[in-house]
Amino acid sequence: MSQPSMADRPVPDGGRSPESGLQRALAGFRMPWAFIVLVALLVAGRFLLAPHLTHPALQTWATVFVAVCVQALPFLVLGVALSAAITAFVPASFWTRALPRRTYAAVPVAGMAGAVLPGCECASVPVASGLMARGVAPPAALAFLLASPAINPVVLVATAVAFPDDPAMVVARFAASLAVAVLAGWIWARFGRTAWLPTPRRTAGTGQSKAGAFVDAMRHDLLHAGGFLVVGALAAATLNVLIPRDWLTTVAGVPVVSVLVLAFLAVLLSICSEADAFVAASFTAFSPTAKLAFLVVGPMVDLKLIALQAGTFGRAFAWRFAPLTLVLAIGVSFVAGWALL
Amino acid sequence: MSRQTQGAVLLILGATVLSISAFSTTYVNYVKPGFRPLLVGAGAVLAVLGLLSVVAGLVDRPGAHQRGPRVAWLLAVPVFAIVLIAPPALGAFAARHGDGPPALVRTGGYSALTGGEVMELTLGEFIGRAYARSGPSLAGRKVRLIGFAVPAEDGKSWYLTRMRIRCCAADALALEVAVQGAAAPAEDSWVAVTGTWVPWRDGVPDEYVVPALAATAVTAVERPAEPYE
Repeated sequence: MSQPSMADRPVPDGGRSPESGLQRALAGFRMPWAFIVLVALLVAGRFLLAPHLTHPALQTWATVFVAVCVQALPFLVLGVALSAAITAFVPASFWTRALPRRTYAAVPVAGMAGAVLPGCECASVPVASGLMARGVAPPAALAFLLASPAINPVVLVATAVAFPDDPAMVVARFAASLAVAVLAGWIWARFGRTAWLPTPRRTAGTGQSKAGAFVDAMRHDLLHAGGFLVVGALAAATLNVLIPRDWLTTVAGVPVVSVLVLAFLAVLLSICSEADAFVAASFTAFSPTAKLAFLVVGPMVDLKLIALQAGTFGRAFAWRFAPLTLVLAIGVSFVAGWALL
Repeated sequence: MSRQTQGAVLLILGATVLSISAFSTTYVNYVKPGFRPLLVGAGAVLAVLGLLSVVAGLVDRPGAHQRGPRVAWLLAVPVFAIVLIAPPALGAFAARHGDGPPALVRTGGYSALTGGEVMELTLGEFIGRAYARSGPSLAGRKVRLIGFAVPAEDGKSWYLTRMRIRCCAADALALEVAVQGAAAPAEDSWVAVTGTWVPWRDGVPDEYVVPALAATAVTAVERPAEPYE
């Protein structure tokens, strides 16, 4: 867990020499102990522990935890596959042609491009990492990372359905999210240091086929990002069960505080961006600006995303980037709420 | 973490995802039914990737470690949660803890209540119709609602409840209807309640108030295939 970034990507050992043959293979036969031990633990636990794990609070926690994992997993697999495909099959020259050469111009273009990846935030992290590995300027990739979970068509339609009497909410969400993504990209371009964000290393091993590189990259990214996804899901499920919702209503009427409360709630609950509009709509006592802050902050900064970003880009990056995004998202929500809602 | 170990973790995770999506319907406790193809696909990718790595790892030369991230061990945690705790669909505990009033997705534009003498409605539609300021009224119509029982803290009254999810159980909201005129069934037991809506005393309230149903019959039912609305 100590290694940040992609530095620990597997480096193939140059391939086995052809003479090694069957003998050497058999001499090196290794029992799949990890598999055997895991299965044995599961079977033993099922008989010995399962009958005692029935407390409603524990079950509710487990349901929310498993739900966050299960719901995010297909998007993570999709994102990792896209990312591996970008590095293995799309030539780097494509991105230099597709994006403006100057970073400041590339940022808004990449942000707008986020509209075409129909997924939630779990897919966008590995894809952004793949883009950086292929030479896309980090600020542009970051703008894509922030914009894509918030402004893609699936999420905007969900928002429109959740706020049937309030189409301005969709416009405000789109505008505010894109603005935050572009501003964050520009700020990173101006003040970001390379040391905070080591460019992900993608070594296609010598003599390794493209397909081999694809599979290796996918396995590694899945294990890595997946592990951090579980960290985020554990935290989100715990807070989801622990936070009493009743006290929310007591602050709903306070102007600025109510916006901050919903913004931080979005960070803690880590709800998928495709569903967060429905949760936001349920905060009936809160002002539209507070709901907008919930919708803008949630897809950009939440516990599971911070864990994913720390795992993918390193902790030095995550603890700078997440607060920056949070402050921008809250600020822009105030402005957009005042202007549009 | 050797390549073989990495494969073992992926294989077990993939097999678990497949077992709750392809080989059973446990997944409806966690996500919407429409999610099934995505889960089967993701489970299959994980299982195949894991199997390839385990098999390739069988003949890895000793010392040919491909360093894997240690955080990957955490991927076993959801597997243990699913196998050991077998988390059920959210019930009374979550409903009591819930978010408060649901957002009424629709409060108007409902068509007339057709069908036989007793109309079967979802809790969401029942609540939406109760709050509709125009259109056909619920008043006097016999309806049948299905949900689980959540006894109130006073020990006498109870709520017929159904959780509504949009994406996964993390965004669940409780839809509640107060049942009058029938004793509370056991907590978390699934029941069908037949009865008529208790109209608002002074018109549709501005603040959310849980609508009430005057029950004529309460019967135990099986948990529906889709526990959420």
